[in-house]
Amino acid sequence: MKRTMVWASMLALGVAITVAAAATAQDDLPAPSPIEKTLAERAAHVTEVTLDKNMLAFAGKFMNKDKDDDKDDKAAKEMIQGLRGVYVRDYEFDKDNEYTAEELEGLRKYITSTDWSPMVHERTKGAKEGTDVYLKLVNGQVQGLFVLDAEPKELSLVLILGPIDMDKIGALGGSFGIPKQAVKDVKKAQKEAGK
Amino acid sequence: MRQREVSATQTATWWSAALVLGGVTAAMTPAILLAASGSGGGFDSVVRGIETRYHVHANKIPFMGLMSLVASHATHGGVHSIHVAEIEHVDGPVDGMELNALVAEHMGAGWQRIVRDTNRSGDEQSLIYVKPEGERLGMLVVDLDHAEMNVVEISINPDKLSDEITEHRHGRDSESSDSKPGDKPDSDESE
Repeated sequence: MKRTMVWASMLALGVAITVAAAATAQDDLPAPSPIEKTLAERAAHVTEVTLDKNMLAFAGKFMNKDKDDDKDDKAAKEMIQGLRGVYVRDYEFDKDNEYTAEELEGLRKYITSTDWSPMVHERTKGAKEGTDVYLKLVNGQVQGLFVLDAEPKELSLVLILGPIDMDKIGALGGSFGIPKQAVKDVKKAQKEAGK
Repeated sequence: MRQREVSATQTATWWSAALVLGGVTAAMTPAILLAASGSGGGFDSVVRGIETRYHVHANKIPFMGLMSLVASHATHGGVHSIHVAEIEHVDGPVDGMELNALVAEHMGAGWQRIVRDTNRSGDEQSLIYVKPEGERLGMLVVDLDHAEMNVVEISINPDKLSDEITEHRHGRDSESSDSKPGDKPDSDESE
């Protein structure tokens, strides 16, 4: 009987650790996908920015303290300090279309899992270029944002994890390596969704 | 009898000396080995690694310790220490992946790469690493611009530095408003 209790306790502990590890892994920034490596090899210019929770908390401290009195700016700063990670990859190519539709699909699948919902999928028929915006919704709250922007000679991938106030998303454009275009895409998607 | 006592005392002294020497050697060995191998991580290790790999010589800026003290005083602890190494004649293209791996290998524990900017021609490479150090943040930048490479390590206190910047901004704003009351502040400041 005692032995059964010990085994049951150990099993419960194991399950708890596994669940906790899974929850943590979900919050973590992803390891670079193999596709990113091949894209980097082909690109003429590569920019990679990876900021985890600690770094964002530090970065938030550098934000303009003058604007702390402004409610909106303070809220934006708090949002940034509450984020769990920012992951940006930007690939610039010498020629048009140096990436394939399969690679784009692979990147989409690699980043987005069950909790992610497509917000915008903008494509011109027959062209690879376009914009994808995905939101990670947990209990109705935005807990992640993924933007994949494919231009003929440039491919940008932005992943933001953590609670996001969509009204304050503008504060992230141009900061932490996040292209302003990605934020514009999100705002455009918001407008489209609101129609 | 007395000779035996003297001999025993001498033996004890020898043993004590040997023990102290052994202890000191044991304590120093890891530090010596670490210093010799350059695996202690951080600025010096990265610079040595680059020197060895690319057969170049790094010019360290003299009196940087003094400058760090001045900077620390001037920023009220915002900037803690600065190390700069300037490397010239980095001839030939530098493979971005290789430089990245080299720096990562020599950085040591706790450092995290936040930015990597690289081009295929190999003449422009930038790496930024950071390491939280309690209230401070260590930052190491490796920047290659054609044949010139700079390695900079700096330790900053974001809170104090931000306060300092804010204070200066206020000072400048009030100065400009005193001198030209009608003038608008710079557009980048007002953003």
